[in-house]
Amino acid sequence: MDEFDNTMIGRGRDAIGMIIDPKTFQENSVGDYSFDPEYGPCAAVGTAKLQGRCITVIANDAQAFNDRFPVVFGGIIGMEEAYKMAMTVYKSMEADKDKPMAEKRPIVLIVDTPGNGPGKMEEIAGMNKATGGYQLALAEARKAGHPIIACVIGRAISGAFLCHGLQADHILALSKDYGTMIHVMPITSISRITKMDIEKLEALSTSNPVFAAGVDFFYKLGGVEEVINTVDDMREIISKHINEVYAIKAAGKFDRLGPWGRGLLGEERGGRIVRLKAMGKMDGEFETVADQYINA
Amino acid sequence: MALQTLEFEFQDAAPKTIEKEWSHLGVTGSGDLEVLMEKKDLAGKVKVKVVTPVIGFDTVWQKMLQKFVSDCHVGNVSIEINDDNATPIVVYMRLRQALAEANEKGAEK
Amino acid sequence: MKSWKELSGASFFNATARERAVGMVDEDSFTELLGPHDRFTSPHLPVLGTAVEFDDGMVTGVGRIGKHPVFVISMEGKFIGGSIGEVNGGKMVGTIRLAEKVAVRIKKKHPDEYEQRRPMVVISFETGGVRLHEANAGLLAHAEVMDAFQDCRRKLPVVCVVGSKVGCFGGMGFVAAATDVIIMNEQGRIGLTGPEVIEQEMGKEEFDASDKALVYRTTGAKQKYIMQDCNYLVEDTIEAFYLALAEVADKTLDEIEGMRRIGSVKLIEEQMDIVKLVGDMQPKDAMDMWKYYGNAKPEILPELSIREFLQVAKRRVRG
Repeated sequence: MDEFDNTMIGRGRDAIGMIIDPKTFQENSVGDYSFDPEYGPCAAVGTAKLQGRCITVIANDAQAFNDRFPVVFGGIIGMEEAYKMAMTVYKSMEADKDKPMAEKRPIVLIVDTPGNGPGKMEEIAGMNKATGGYQLALAEARKAGHPIIACVIGRAISGAFLCHGLQADHILALSKDYGTMIHVMPITSISRITKMDIEKLEALSTSNPVFAAGVDFFYKLGGVEEVINTVDDMREIISKHINEVYAIKAAGKFDRLGPWGRGLLGEERGGRIVRLKAMGKMDGEFETVADQYINA
Repeated sequence: MALQTLEFEFQDAAPKTIEKEWSHLGVTGSGDLEVLMEKKDLAGKVKVKVVTPVIGFDTVWQKMLQKFVSDCHVGNVSIEINDDNATPIVVYMRLRQALAEANEKGAEK
Repeated sequence: MKSWKELSGASFFNATARERAVGMVDEDSFTELLGPHDRFTSPHLPVLGTAVEFDDGMVTGVGRIGKHPVFVISMEGKFIGGSIGEVNGGKMVGTIRLAEKVAVRIKKKHPDEYEQRRPMVVISFETGGVRLHEANAGLLAHAEVMDAFQDCRRKLPVVCVVGSKVGCFGGMGFVAAATDVIIMNEQGRIGLTGPEVIEQEMGKEEFDASDKALVYRTTGAKQKYIMQDCNYLVEDTIEAFYLALAEVADKTLDEIEGMRRIGSVKLIEEQMDIVKLVGDMQPKDAMDMWKYYGNAKPEILPELSIREFLQVAKRRVRG
């Protein structure tokens, strides 16, 4: 990491401090619910203030180890962590359930994770449920009106990014100058698995963002709403997006947000242009036979 | 590294077209291929388009396809193949199966 | 293509994606949408020199079970391992969204008959998740599917069907977990991390990926059934899946919601209990869990036929 001496990788807790109002982080507390501090240690969750507004924070703590689940460290999201994150979302919803949409607390996801727990115990108990459960909680909160902003400060890798990030309304990322990584797999691994030549892959990746690694490519695909160029701007830009998302939700334009909104953005930015055509054609084909199915 | 597209044209002495407007068979699995046959007015000819990652087997394709057209007397059919390293025997077998499917009575598209 | 009746008796495990799609709904009721004739191939694979398929490895369409429109998504594992890219990811999302839109139309058109006419989404998974050749687009598609699932909640059932060679792994492993109902045959496997990766992470002495029985015990259908992560464990025929689907189609939405594993505070609490148990027990093998849940001789379970297994297996008690 020498080339990125300012990297935020592994510094989820520092990032919380840089984003929220000073000394406002009440860790492990959401509404009237509190977590056992020993539980899911690789996820740092709690309530804080951002420019005076109450927010929920969910971050990876890459410095922590989970003693019960030995594969969970270095920012890995294990089962405890994913359920803790899910519960944090549900408890945020519960705390605001009687409030109008404009007052539902924002949820800020601070993303620096290389993966989900890849162990045997995880498969026996069902790691897939843990990551899936967290995503459904985020989707529900997003649809209920909570603005959800993900900020990628370090690593956002594959399934772990799906778990913690890709269900947000808007996704922001520190620029690649901070060593930020967003990808499914580095090109070296893609080359190994697909047996394709690495030089050719690298050459192609400059024109085809769908398989290349990096923040800028995700931006083109609509996967990242805005790139943040300096850490000092994180706080302001996250706040700005919270306000934008409130406004978009107030206008009822939920389709401009979240995964579907990123699809629209991906088309506008020219990164993913065939999926909408495919879906449009499917819908058209269905209309020619709709009666057989709707009025069966 | 890009995919190859090969195009062929054949003319049988006694060509017969297919029953269905179009029909599809197979999966582009490793060592396999898929075939899409479509009825088309081609003045009795058969047009074939093969898309394949394999380079340098144009003559083999030409031979297998010619054998299929001659054996089965096909005409006025456009054939599109997506191949992933199928052997000539598999190619021939899939074409026969695809033709049988295209001539299957009843399930007219 | 085999006739519907032939398909009914055929092995689900050996069936192609299209055969499964046709056979899981009523006879002659399936209409394929964005089928091979549309030639909607991936624009990204040719650039990398990889063979394409006219349906991009996924059969999508609509059929019926009784009066229920059934929106089917069926993955073909023979094509690049059933992996998800931009086009087939879009087909998957598009089909789920279409089902949801049709649910709204039916509710409006037939307000008194919604229960009998309620649409259903059926996904036959056979995939390892994201397609590396177009990995970023595939990844984003997974998130869209999860989002679309949430829109279907309490409106129409989304059913996961797993029983093909590749199983259901990677990102699609959690997509499967996020459905309402899971139906598997004995060969079905669902997980997040594939066996090779676990071996790589933990070492061969902890997990030997070449040990088929171990792999199956860890992520196979019997394990999922005991853990309550599989609602129906059925024989390996397309008809067996069809019959289970027909049963699900007629359930009430409350019953459907009750078959879920995740998606509410209560369900998350239930899962947290399992995680606590596993953390305390530190099981070396899935059989340790089977024993804990009351199966005195867990080692006999893998050998039993489905019929015998269903008679004797003790499952985790829910709640």
